Amino acid sequence: MSIVAKETIEVIAQSIGINNLSDDAALSLAPDVEYRMREIMQEAIKCMRHSRRTILTTDDVDGALNLRNVEPVYGFTSGGPLQFKRAIGHRGLFYIDDRDVDLKEVIEAPLPKAPLDTGVACHWLAIEGVQPAIPENAPVGVIAAPSNGNTYEQKDELPVDIKLPVKHVLSRELQLYFDKISELTLRKSDSALFKEALVSLATDSGLHPLVPYFTFFVADEVSRGLNDYSLLFALMRVVWSLLQNPHIHIEPYLHQLMPSVVTCLVSKKLGNRIADNHWELRDFTAKLVALICKRFGHVYNTLQTRLTKTLLNALLDPKRALTQHYGAIQGLAALGPNVVRLLILPNLEPYLRLLEPELLLEKQKNEMKRYEAWRVYGALLRAAGQGIYERLKIFPPLPSPPGHTIWKSKEKVVTAVPNKRKASMEPLEDEPALKKIATDGPIGSSASVTTLASSGENDAGQPSSSEKKTGNRVGKDGQKLKKSAILNQIWKDDLNSGHTLVTLLELLGEGILSFIPSPEMSLFL
Amino acid sequence: MENMQAVNNFVAAYLKKKGFKEAEQLLEDLQNKESAPIDFHNDPELAKFIHRFSQSEDDVARYQDGYSKLRSWTYSSLDLYKHELLRVLYPVFIHSFMDMVAKGHLQEARTFFNNFREDHELMHSRDLQKLEGVLSQSHLEEMEFARSLRQSKVNIKICQYSYDLLLQYLHKTQSTAMLGVINEHINFQVSSGQPSSISDDAEVVTLIGSCQDTANQINQKEIHWGLLEDSLEERLEKAGGLLSDSEKTEEENKEGDADDTKKRSVESGKQGASTKKLKKEKALNATAKSARPEASTTPAAPRVKAKLPLPLMSTEVEQSILEDLRNRVQLSSVLLPSVSFYTFLNTHNGLNCSSISHDGSLVAGGFSDSSLKVWDMAKLGQQGGSSILQAENDSTSSEHVVGPNGGKRSYTLFQGHSGPVHSATFSPLGDFILSSSADTTIRLWSTKLNANLVCYKGHNYPVWDVQFSPVGHYFASASHDRTARIWSMDRIQPLRIMAGHLSDVDCVQWHANCNYIATGSSDKTVRLWDVQNGECVRIFIGHRSMILSLAMSPDGRYMASGDEDGMIMMWDISSGRCITPLMGHTSCVWTVAFSCEGSLLASGSADCTVKLWDVTTSAKVPRNEEKSGNPNRLRLLKTLATKSTPVYSLQFSRRNLLFAAGALSKNL
Repeated sequence: MSIVAKETIEVIAQSIGINNLSDDAALSLAPDVEYRMREIMQEAIKCMRHSRRTILTTDDVDGALNLRNVEPVYGFTSGGPLQFKRAIGHRGLFYIDDRDVDLKEVIEAPLPKAPLDTGVACHWLAIEGVQPAIPENAPVGVIAAPSNGNTYEQKDELPVDIKLPVKHVLSRELQLYFDKISELTLRKSDSALFKEALVSLATDSGLHPLVPYFTFFVADEVSRGLNDYSLLFALMRVVWSLLQNPHIHIEPYLHQLMPSVVTCLVSKKLGNRIADNHWELRDFTAKLVALICKRFGHVYNTLQTRLTKTLLNALLDPKRALTQHYGAIQGLAALGPNVVRLLILPNLEPYLRLLEPELLLEKQKNEMKRYEAWRVYGALLRAAGQGIYERLKIFPPLPSPPGHTIWKSKEKVVTAVPNKRKASMEPLEDEPALKKIATDGPIGSSASVTTLASSGENDAGQPSSSEKKTGNRVGKDGQKLKKSAILNQIWKDDLNSGHTLVTLLELLGEGILSFIPSPEMSLFL
Repeated sequence: MENMQAVNNFVAAYLKKKGFKEAEQLLEDLQNKESAPIDFHNDPELAKFIHRFSQSEDDVARYQDGYSKLRSWTYSSLDLYKHELLRVLYPVFIHSFMDMVAKGHLQEARTFFNNFREDHELMHSRDLQKLEGVLSQSHLEEMEFARSLRQSKVNIKICQYSYDLLLQYLHKTQSTAMLGVINEHINFQVSSGQPSSISDDAEVVTLIGSCQDTANQINQKEIHWGLLEDSLEERLEKAGGLLSDSEKTEEENKEGDADDTKKRSVESGKQGASTKKLKKEKALNATAKSARPEASTTPAAPRVKAKLPLPLMSTEVEQSILEDLRNRVQLSSVLLPSVSFYTFLNTHNGLNCSSISHDGSLVAGGFSDSSLKVWDMAKLGQQGGSSILQAENDSTSSEHVVGPNGGKRSYTLFQGHSGPVHSATFSPLGDFILSSSADTTIRLWSTKLNANLVCYKGHNYPVWDVQFSPVGHYFASASHDRTARIWSMDRIQPLRIMAGHLSDVDCVQWHANCNYIATGSSDKTVRLWDVQNGECVRIFIGHRSMILSLAMSPDGRYMASGDEDGMIMMWDISSGRCITPLMGHTSCVWTVAFSCEGSLLASGSADCTVKLWDVTTSAKVPRNEEKSGNPNRLRLLKTLATKSTPVYSLQFSRRNLLFAAGALSKNL
């Protein structure tokens, strides 16, 4: 009836020297023994709970005995859980393996290593409810247990370090995947397989655990491979694809990605061969930066300001290389017309003054430098043009028919611009920026409008170098000056400019094909 | 009704035969009452007699037989009424068992118990474990649980038709043993109309004896759960309300505030000065406040006066708190908090508790080797995680060289207890720590002096929990001796002793207005006590196992409690009812915490997760549709998993950053 058998009671009685325990006594003692045992277990469980544990230990039982004012059972204290062994031949019978220990051996054994002292480590379990998959969120047991002195040398790097001896749970498949992707990125970035890989990165769910590894990979490779153009491009495409993936939270890793991305935008030198089209890489990265700002700008409101500050610093520092200026302009332009209007346009005039000597054949003898300068010039044109184009778009169309004079003036300007360009660009016939502008159609033409407008603005204030420049190039065309003056007014008067420019644009939008191409064509011809 | 009549006639005839006039009379009275709650309880003698009758005539086999028949009948009854009738089975079961034990038929009792225990395992496994050990009559007397069960009746709400069905059955089978048990131990509250919903069985879950009858009575008492008047939050709110461009409330607030300032400036110069400063900063507040979502959508709770003399707060402290309140992040279901996790490493299974100061700068751990260790995070982690590790490495290595005495540790070691430290708590300003230990004492430590200041002796058994009041100075303790006590820092004797729990008091928590404390116990109830007069003012019944953690909402309206099974219950303090159970954790809920504006509840558990719950939906919706009985309203917003690190403590900072702490345990 009781789980404690009568025989057990008898055995216990004998062990404490009572040999003549009657059967009846044993029988009635058995239930009471069971009850007392249960009582102690109940208290022991309380002790366990208050030690915030879910596994009962001998300490808890001792604590329970203590509560009942009973002498604790000695000899069972052990740090770890007890090792039970199954008795052979008896199911459900277990015993503790209690080996004989030679005292001499114990005394002579060298002192064991002192156990490590308790420590506290701190990490982000979640940032605004999203768990970053940093290694600290995985088991961190070994971090505080350095086996030798030099381990923390490594740890002193980025907060995320895949070299940490951390058991981050990463399935074998994911590891393979990561290895494959990094292999492709490093070696075969022009293969069709790489394209497939990018698609996979952009669409596959379940890649989230790999994000910290990819960010680290990108950061690492960018810092190492600044001379390898194709690698950098491949890496940026990987970042692009990762950003496209709707299944991963890349926000917590942005702070790691941004430096590498910005590096690819404004670095002085990307790739070491002349054939490397680093312009293209910069354009692509600019788009990437804009994408990041668009997606995460509202989450990290300092993101865009910090970025623009960096880019603007790069742009306004005359000591920086032209390639850096180009990257900065592209980056700013990609951030949208407002950024252009607020940051580029006010600085246009002093910057052009700087740029001018580089552009001219007689002042800059180095062909390469001049080419770069023209690149920058083209980027500026495009940025400004885009800015004004976008700005024009937001104004509501004016219902009244456009004034003929303005229309006329616009036409003149438009025709004047390519002429001017033609004149100025004759020395450099294969100017790619020009081609771009030409092909860009409305943007290109409005870009020229802006340049004119801005230079006109300068003109209104004082005779500036840029005005001189345009003046030189186009020739002393009085009519042109008048037009720029008109445009200047338009530009200054916000409301009026809105309406008039919209009207212009409307005209341009429809009429652009009819009359823009002809001068552009002529340019190409 | 006919059946009912038949039963009554039968009983009446029986009583007449035996000559029980009084009982007969009573039965007639009952018959006349009809649908009114039938209360056999009024006359315990009647039940006794019937019971004795059954005892004398039936042998033990009747119990087994009767119960198994009743059981199969219940299971085959109509679905609509089944769950009501099923509730009857459990009390019948345990009392049949105890009857058999009491009569000395131990063998039969054991077989009976084992035969049917499975049925109740799901709901009452812990009670069954306790009862299983009852093996003789003396155990029944000795064991608190069994005794209270025997002495009291179980209240079961049942609809008229179910009641009729039951009586009809008992009559038909003539199982007097069952009838006896039911009469003696069950108090039916018959209600006309439809059977109640399945979820509404909170009462029947906990059979806690005597308090069952008094619980309802106690829960009628009045409670002023509003916040303290003139609290900092209130002042800030007013300050914000002043300049926010909402129309009428603004003016009211203005007046109130003006009065307030006047009154207070008269009261004490010190405070007056602080309010002047406050006024200066109102302009600043306004910008911060206008960004806040409408905090005043909930009806403003009535403000209450503090029943305790409250300690004065220095102006600088007040300023810093106000600054924090102003910079508080407004959390909601869409804006979840950031969680900073402090992982204790190399604890060798010795960490019993942890505590985090209100600003998260200090972390304390209580260990089973009687030590209390405090880490200053500002010193450790100036540059985030990696440098912490570095600092730790430094300190450990240097310690190896210098030895344990002079070595520079990464923590401050407080030694003084002579038993495992079970709880630690920081004062609101972080300048004091209290720790409670199995050596029955509570010790006060100063974090400034790094020394033990006071040792409070009063409990006779291990002190499981100690908590500073929200204003500091006072603290409450909970102990194995079944009492909770209120202390103040300057006295070594307790100010109040709260006695009433039937088992260990496992956790204690202060109400936001300091006029009440809540205690959770192994008897599966949570009680609310009035600090002033030491009376129990609420009993919250519904948990199925030992209560491990408590939290009070900052507005004083709600309370959350977590238990051993992983269940969290949200209680409405004023009504004493459970608003909704929160199910999701699979193991002990060590800690629960409300965010500072009360919109989120965070819970930390032994299943290595921190869960975030939306309190606003849970607390407000069910009140509107209380009748429709929509049980599981509370939304689990997020589960944050740690890797094999059970979460021991959670703390929201005043700016609503969530701090969590736990010990990494490898063998989980």
